[in-house]
Amino acid sequence: MSGQRHYLGFMPPYILNRLIDHGSEWQRSRALKTLTHVRQFLPATARQSQASVAEAHQPGQLQRNIYDAQHLTVLPGALVRVEGQRASGDVAVDEAYDALGATHDFFWQVYGRDSIDNRGFALAGTAHYGEGYENAFWNGAQMVFGDGDGEVFQRFTRSLDVVAHELTHGVIESEAGLVYRNQSGALNESISDVFGVLTRQYVLKQTAEQADWLIGADLLTDKVKGKGLRSMSHPGTAYDDPVLGKDPQPAHMDDFINTQDDNGGVHLNSGIPNRAFYLVAIALGGSAWERAGQIWYDTLCDKNLDNDANFQAFATLTVQHAHQRFGTEAADAVRKAWEEVGVGLAGESPNERTSGLG
Amino acid sequence: MKELPALGNDATVRLSRQGGQVTTMTRPREIEFAQCNVDEREQICNVLNRCLPQTSTDVGRGDQRFYQIEVRYRSDNRDDQLRFTVPEDQASEELKRLWDKGQV
Ligand SMILES: [Zn+2]
Repeated sequence: MSGQRHYLGFMPPYILNRLIDHGSEWQRSRALKTLTHVRQFLPATARQSQASVAEAHQPGQLQRNIYDAQHLTVLPGALVRVEGQRASGDVAVDEAYDALGATHDFFWQVYGRDSIDNRGFALAGTAHYGEGYENAFWNGAQMVFGDGDGEVFQRFTRSLDVVAHELTHGVIESEAGLVYRNQSGALNESISDVFGVLTRQYVLKQTAEQADWLIGADLLTDKVKGKGLRSMSHPGTAYDDPVLGKDPQPAHMDDFINTQDDNGGVHLNSGIPNRAFYLVAIALGGSAWERAGQIWYDTLCDKNLDNDANFQAFATLTVQHAHQRFGTEAADAVRKAWEEVGVGLAGESPNERTSGLG
Repeated sequence: MKELPALGNDATVRLSRQGGQVTTMTRPREIEFAQCNVDEREQICNVLNRCLPQTSTDVGRGDQRFYQIEVRYRSDNRDDQLRFTVPEDQASEELKRLWDKGQV
């Protein structure tokens, strides 16, 4: 490949280190090469903020830097609000600041996780990216939010679950590093939805029964026939609109989409594990982040979760973690949820299951 | 790939913008060379050839968008196909315009 991919230069050293430790031969050689150059490619502000975090970091201490791209597509943009500064008065900037803070707080209070890398990684977010930009993303170093076109989409900082979804992409990269393609990519997407939606439920103090299980419910304008970007409880029902089209997500393995598009349908087939998580949360009841979320978090951080894991491998590990942390009944609920979406477990044929872990 | 193969009258180019949070707005655009004159074909090939240095297979991570270019053509009397992807932040204005407006 010729030319430098800019965002590789932005890739934080911990991810490169992880690639060097766990990546393929190709990833390792590329990561090693990049790591030696990473300092000079990092924007000066990002370099300074990560350095200051490393110097004097109290566990769980939040560090946010919010930038304004001023409708250009150059990252990170102009620094407009740093940790502790009062509200800027710019709604998108302040929403990004608050949502990143809420997500950090959720991971720290509930799972004892200290930011993206569990070592206090300073959170960088850029608002007003591009012109009418209808997307939000994590680029390996920071979160980025568009303003939406105003016709179909409002600004992407409006939905706390979407902001938390992007931050969770960073967490996944620093843990399991699930490859963003096919089933492992759909798991990557689904896990981001899981902790995205749990962040919102945690802030709103909603039980699994009370929650709407929608991603991006605050993004769509009134003109759109839809409830949000995705529904975790009923994938495929979030919208049906002349401009936006119909929500294409499957909810069951029978409807799994084999496609080359969207990295092998990562945003499509994520509907299947999304619904499995919803079913677990409903079966276990109460606050979904306490048990269902803990099981998923334990699985994400399990060294036995390969970066190219498929649905079955992931499902099998969730049953193990449910059993380890909450016992046989929880494990059965998890097993049943996966069965309901058509995902079998490793080492089990559908008709010879025993109760609990055999 | 340094350069596209020679594309004849029977070639079809499909451009789509993929990835990101909004999956249904890829707005694929198909351009049939049979419907284009020689000048237009050459201009389209030039745009695509200039994209080649920006192609990457590692695209899409963390909801980053990318452009997917698929070319179907005949070569040595058989159907052939090419597919490559360009990260959105590396995509040229002329590629975006070709996808968005169908114009070169
Ligand atoms: Zn995502």
